[in-house]
Amino acid sequence: MENVLEVNDLATYFFMHDYIIRAVDGVDFTLAKGETLGIVGESGCGKSMTSMSLMRLIPDPPGKIVHGEVNLKGTDLVKLSEEKMRRYRGNEISMIFQEPMTSLNPVYTIGFQISEVLRLHRDIEKREALREAARLLKMVGMSDPDERVHEYPFQLSGGLRQRAMIAIAMACEPSVMIADEPTTALDVTIQAQILRLMGELKEAKDTSIAFITHDLAVIAGFTDRVMVMYAGVAVEDAPVKELFKNPLHPYTQGLLGSVPVLGVGKLNEDGTRRLLQAIPGTLPDARRFPRGCRFAPRCPHAMKRCWEAEPEMVEVAPGHNVRCYLHHEVVRERKVRNLGAAGRRIAKLQEHDRKKREAKRARAERKENKRDGVS
Amino acid sequence: MTDKSLLDIRKLRKTFPVKANVFSTKSIPLKAVDGVNLQIRKGETLGLVGESGCGKTTVGRCLLRLYQPDSGRIWLEADPDVVAEVEARDAEREEIEAELQSVFENGSARGQSRKIRELKQKIRTIKAVADRKAAEYDLLSMPAARMQRARKEIQMVFQDPWASLNPQMVVKDLIGEGPYTFGTHRGRTLDRWVNELLDKVGLPKNAANRYPHEFSGGQRQRIGIARALALTPKLIVCDEPVSALDVSVQAQVLNLLISLQDDFDLAYLFIAHDLSVVQYVSDRVAVMYLGKVVELADSRQLYQSPRHPYTISLLSSIPVADPDIRVEGQILEGDVPSPINPPPGCSFHPRCPHRIDPCDKILPELGRDRDGHRIACHNPPND
Ligand SMILES: Nc1ncnc2c1ncn2[C@@H]1O[C@H](COP(=O)(O)OP(=O)(O)O)[C@@H](O)[C@H]1O
Ligand SMILES: Nc1ncnc2c1ncn2[C@@H]1O[C@H](COP(=O)(O)OP(=O)(O)O)[C@@H](O)[C@H]1O
Ligand code: SF4
Ligand SMILES: [Mg+2]
Ligand SMILES: [Mg+2]
Repeated sequence: MENVLEVNDLATYFFMHDYIIRAVDGVDFTLAKGETLGIVGESGCGKSMTSMSLMRLIPDPPGKIVHGEVNLKGTDLVKLSEEKMRRYRGNEISMIFQEPMTSLNPVYTIGFQISEVLRLHRDIEKREALREAARLLKMVGMSDPDERVHEYPFQLSGGLRQRAMIAIAMACEPSVMIADEPTTALDVTIQAQILRLMGELKEAKDTSIAFITHDLAVIAGFTDRVMVMYAGVAVEDAPVKELFKNPLHPYTQGLLGSVPVLGVGKLNEDGTRRLLQAIPGTLPDARRFPRGCRFAPRCPHAMKRCWEAEPEMVEVAPGHNVRCYLHHEVVRERKVRNLGAAGRRIAKLQEHDRKKREAKRARAERKENKRDGVS
Repeated sequence: MTDKSLLDIRKLRKTFPVKANVFSTKSIPLKAVDGVNLQIRKGETLGLVGESGCGKTTVGRCLLRLYQPDSGRIWLEADPDVVAEVEARDAEREEIEAELQSVFENGSARGQSRKIRELKQKIRTIKAVADRKAAEYDLLSMPAARMQRARKEIQMVFQDPWASLNPQMVVKDLIGEGPYTFGTHRGRTLDRWVNELLDKVGLPKNAANRYPHEFSGGQRQRIGIARALALTPKLIVCDEPVSALDVSVQAQVLNLLISLQDDFDLAYLFIAHDLSVVQYVSDRVAVMYLGKVVELADSRQLYQSPRHPYTISLLSSIPVADPDIRVEGQILEGDVPSPINPPPGCSFHPRCPHRIDPCDKILPELGRDRDGHRIACHNPPND
């Protein structure tokens, strides 16, 4: 399938007074036409900053995209001027947020805000834009759209505000939509309505969606593929069914084990207490990530090498990637078995190349840090 | 009432005066809790679940008298004979109140001022007698000295681990505050007790002399739990204790709450909007909608065979962490109506797929009992 969006090695840092926050630290993913990718992880792992980087909305200073590309249908958004980027934003790539109240302007009517977006990207006159706005509100399931266009955001309930936000985001039928925790602030019954609406629109318009959430259950029902983030990097990505059937990274396993499952109470069959499989400890401080695997301090399987160098992402099955040494073994064994003596030689060379690349990157990073340190 | 009853909440009502709209100066009552009956048994966890604004927090805060309820009784380990007697009087009073109401409604109030005065006098007398009878056991009519003793038995853990701890106090004092003011522990024994509590909630000993801001959200919630445990209460009201935490930390705190329950022989009123969490920790669950309890059942029963249409839709709108199950359950349409002007009859009727003729006129009582599984519904779909 054709990829609409390709994100390569994206990194966004915040250069604070006396330290650096590596909010997004080398993230890769792709989004095919009509595909929905779930991005899941706990608060502070860099989900929002990833999406803000895609939209080029990182507050600068202190934030900065330090390297990487965001390829939208062949154009690298990172390299665009702000002027050109404005033409893409809302038109080709748009975003909806957790709290629509912060992104809707409280002093303008809903209708006005939608028609502004339309008029920015399309050559239509005011009256027609307002008519179009009403049509969009109807599309997102609002009753009496002709009256609603004259209402202000505070007059709408949380669920209706999110519908209005979706109407604005879909106004120009973008090829990519980023939804950052769009249902987190809503009650479950309203969440179900919004998810259904987004699903219907996605089907109808063939939009590609990056769906960000901390809730694995929402991911399960709504996405095709999932990327699990931890401390600024992706630690696992896989097709959604594969991820839930066969979670490989210890963090993914921990996340799945720590949410209570409906229908399972606190007592086992024999009356003993059943405890959740909690992950010990807390997220690492974004100012100083561990040198090795970022999950090592909380990982039940951490080995010596986990503390020494960060593991790479390896493909363990078609489309299933994991960043964990436990699975490096598996991959190496399989490779070596498949290729015999020649394979071993190739593997060695590859390893050599990888080390060289890594060293080069580390050097560049040091230089970068130094430069930003003095400026 | 069974002998295991710890707390018995009867006909609890709480309204808040709110402005009718942005421009008005007149205030009208918002019915936050509208006639709730609940019983909490010794050592059990009663879950209280429902969408935001349905009145869960208000119920919890009424139990601690952080809010003063408008009416109702909250019996604490009460003598059943006293309860029976007081309830008889309360019923009598309610009858007279209804009569008074009808006098007003008939519009014939003008010529009857004497009758009205008489009725009002009667109501006052009966209430005074009932309150005096109830004073030993009813949290809402207790004299101050008795209330002070009762306060020890009920503690609360709050949702927001950032706002609920005084930032000026070190952990040792935060935890020791209750025992110190109640005089249960002093001096060296107090220190030892605080250390033991720290250990019980999984915090290191050196936490004692640090300030709350030095801790993460999960650890602060542990401090809040230790603080609630310090007076060895019989009941802890947990108001959304894990909602502000990340899932991996949430599990740690839930596990802690569950294991403390055995150690301290605690009952919990566990309030949360997340039904999976409530279902996991609770023995019984009460589902609230617009200030009323609409279903009450054993936790497993509630999940396996929900009976109230609202609970059924609530359960089916919860996403399931299994991509093979993409059932489009019943999705509720519309929003929760405002508690300022709740719909007549069953307040769920405008959104209910099973409503029948009397639903919009007659209020269903929480009655239809089946082995302790109760619902308030005229037309339960699965019965
Ligand atoms: N404006 C900012 N200034 C400094 N640091 C920030 C800013 N915004 C976000 N961060 C940091 O970036 C990291 C990632 O944040 P974010 O992407 O918002 O996480 P998520 O959305 O996954 O919860 C966090 O450590 C956060 O503290
Ligand atoms: N102090 C208050 N003043 C006015 N209204 C309040 C107050 N506290 C709660 N309410 C209202 O009472 C209703 C119930 O609130 P609450 O008990 O907090 O619900 P929940 O905890 O279930 O979300 C809501 O409509 C809320 O707006
Ligand atoms: S790399 Fe090591 S520490 Fe990291 S998740 Fe895998 S086993 Fe755990
Ligand atoms: Mg975020
Ligand atoms: Mg609440």
